[in-house]
Amino acid sequence: MTDARKDIEQLIAKLAEQGYIASSAIATTLYIAQQLERPILIEGPPGVGKTELANATAAMLAKPLFRLQCYEGLDESKALYDWKYSKQLLYVQVLKEQLHDILDGTDGLANAVERLHNFDDIFYSERFLEPRPLLKALQSDDGAVLLIDEIDKADYEFESLLLEILADFSVTLPEIGTLRARHKPLVILTSNNTRDLSDALKRRCLHLYIPFPEAKLESRIVQSRVPAVPDELRRQLVNFVHGVRELDLKKQPAISETIDWARSLLLLHCDSLSRELVEDTLNVLLKYEEDINMVSPELHGLIKRASSNL
Amino acid sequence: MDETLLQFIRHLRNNGLAISTAETLDAMRVVATLGYSDPDLLRDGLASCLAKTVEDHSHFAACFERFFRAPIGESITDNNTKDEAENTDLDDTNNPNEGDGAGGGEGAGNGQGSGGSGSIGQRDNTLSEVIRAAAEIGLENIKFRTQRGVYRRKILNALNDEQKVSDIQQLQDAGEIEQALILGQLRDRQIAAVKDVIDRQLLLNNDAAGKQLRDDTIKDTSLSAMEHYHRERLPPLIRKLAKKLASRHRQRHKRARRGKLDLGKTLRRNIAYGGIPFHRFWKTTRKDKSDIFVLCDISGSVSAWSRVLLLFVQALSDVLPNTRSFVFCGQSIEVSDLFKQYPADEAMAIIQQRHGLGGSDYGLALNSFWNQIEDKLNRRSCVIILGDGRGNGGDTGIDALRSIYHRARLVLWFNPESHYSWNTGDSEIRRYQSASHYVAECGSLRKLERLLDQLLSLLR
Repeated sequence: MTDARKDIEQLIAKLAEQGYIASSAIATTLYIAQQLERPILIEGPPGVGKTELANATAAMLAKPLFRLQCYEGLDESKALYDWKYSKQLLYVQVLKEQLHDILDGTDGLANAVERLHNFDDIFYSERFLEPRPLLKALQSDDGAVLLIDEIDKADYEFESLLLEILADFSVTLPEIGTLRARHKPLVILTSNNTRDLSDALKRRCLHLYIPFPEAKLESRIVQSRVPAVPDELRRQLVNFVHGVRELDLKKQPAISETIDWARSLLLLHCDSLSRELVEDTLNVLLKYEEDINMVSPELHGLIKRASSNL
Repeated sequence: MDETLLQFIRHLRNNGLAISTAETLDAMRVVATLGYSDPDLLRDGLASCLAKTVEDHSHFAACFERFFRAPIGESITDNNTKDEAENTDLDDTNNPNEGDGAGGGEGAGNGQGSGGSGSIGQRDNTLSEVIRAAAEIGLENIKFRTQRGVYRRKILNALNDEQKVSDIQQLQDAGEIEQALILGQLRDRQIAAVKDVIDRQLLLNNDAAGKQLRDDTIKDTSLSAMEHYHRERLPPLIRKLAKKLASRHRQRHKRARRGKLDLGKTLRRNIAYGGIPFHRFWKTTRKDKSDIFVLCDISGSVSAWSRVLLLFVQALSDVLPNTRSFVFCGQSIEVSDLFKQYPADEAMAIIQQRHGLGGSDYGLALNSFWNQIEDKLNRRSCVIILGDGRGNGGDTGIDALRSIYHRARLVLWFNPESHYSWNTGDSEIRRYQSASHYVAECGSLRKLERLLDQLLSLLR
């Protein structure tokens, strides 16, 4: 076993302590991201734990998590920084009197302006800067985890805005200059693949695709999240979900739905899947009427397969 | 410099993965961190920095298997094949240099890892000699299948094959038949190894140069003159071109005008603060999205072109959000929904099957088109009509087109015919010219790409 392999095994164990069961591919990418100081772009169907990975990583590293939820129309004043306009204005109003004192005794406009120049751009200093998540992550004193969630929902311009941060971990503010990160944060971007991201963005990131997990892994995830579920039931319900995923559904049940289902079955105090039970709780697993209608006739076979194969 | 990694990246590029220099540098750091000893680890690590889309990931996995795991030279020895395959696998995990050996063109220290029985050792010797010779003569530059013979000769020359032939001859002349037989067998084995190595390299190169050449030719060829076989290559090529166009025009998308103060509103709302502007209000402009209507003739003469245009427009849906597609032989029929339901290729097949029979009737087509879109047309609409304007002497529908022309911002007529055959025979293109802003010839894929490029810059 090599050093790298050992480190990665350790990483998996540490993530497991936080309740996140990582596959080898996930851990490897995370390890490389730490070594290379590169952002990770995570893609995958909704509900496979993309955001959860960021949460678990932040908890594991014991670093603060800054989360930026993307949406259409998001711009730098909401994501990066803004000036505290009201504060600036208030200070100007309050300091009006002071201004008189300062300018007292000057003769001529040129002298007055000259004297004002001595005061620099005090209203555009860091004191008046309102940091938003991106800047906060860069300014944090001992590293941070920055989660940029659902980047595919943001506009193309916003992607371009991110490039400087992702490549150099610095931002350029026109009024102040370039601010560098004190500690490079670990950046995690997630995308649901509703549109293609630009190549420039992808080039700067490591790419991680998280598919639906294999039955074994999913079983472990359920075990770690809902430990009270008996083994037999867990095996059955995971197998059942895997069977359901093979059908042509509008929205396939994700891990989060499996976990929700396991919780509800636990509440109902049952030890194994039965047809009535599944029929009654199917709406936890499937979110569309059409999907439920499609699965209902298959229930018998699905349950039989789930409880038979080992 | 990590030659194996570079070769692997070349192999990926040949298989259609776009890998930049920056990513290559990343990959080198990954290899430096992880090492070659653990293939699974290496695969996951390299995948994260070299494969950047979901499809790329599956391509990458296949390429990785082929490059680092596939044993070569199985045909050289008949027996123990299975054993050797395992052996090679083992080498992959034990001896980092074996990766080099599998790399095809790499020469330095390989193949010595496996001990075992004599025949295996000999086989490895033969193989490593051949691989070394291949690296010497630059086998990785092989581009086309037809170059096989040349490279085989080059490698054999590098291996001093002529000397061997004459040795065997001499031995035979001297009567030492047995000795000659052994040497002959060795030589046969070597030739087989050379063949294997070349085949493998060709597989790794994946005929990338040939494909590029074909793509370039297809772009310039008139579609009517194109063989059916080549048309199969069109959809992926169109998607590629459309992606390029989309990324060029996407960046310039501007949203609301930020930074301009709405003075009136700001003053009004701040009266409460004695006119000091505590709250600011910015001017915004609503972004006018253009509507695009595409009408395509799918009768026999130009159906191939309609197919290309429709595929193009669908692939551009990222930058052309409000597109409605119509097709006609007689009546114009909207097909936008079909493209939403099915993948583009399948949708085209369905359209062709349902609506694509008979000659074109422009009168009926344009009139029914006008009836359907009359209430939707405005100064932001752009209408693209694709057809050759040959109405078989029937009604031209010019009045309907003129009404469209008056209402829409832009009416473009794409004519797949060459400029020289316009206005000959039953072509009515001159009359249509009077009722459209521009009639363009779109004889080849490259011309069509240029037209759409101009259109996109105009629409912004």
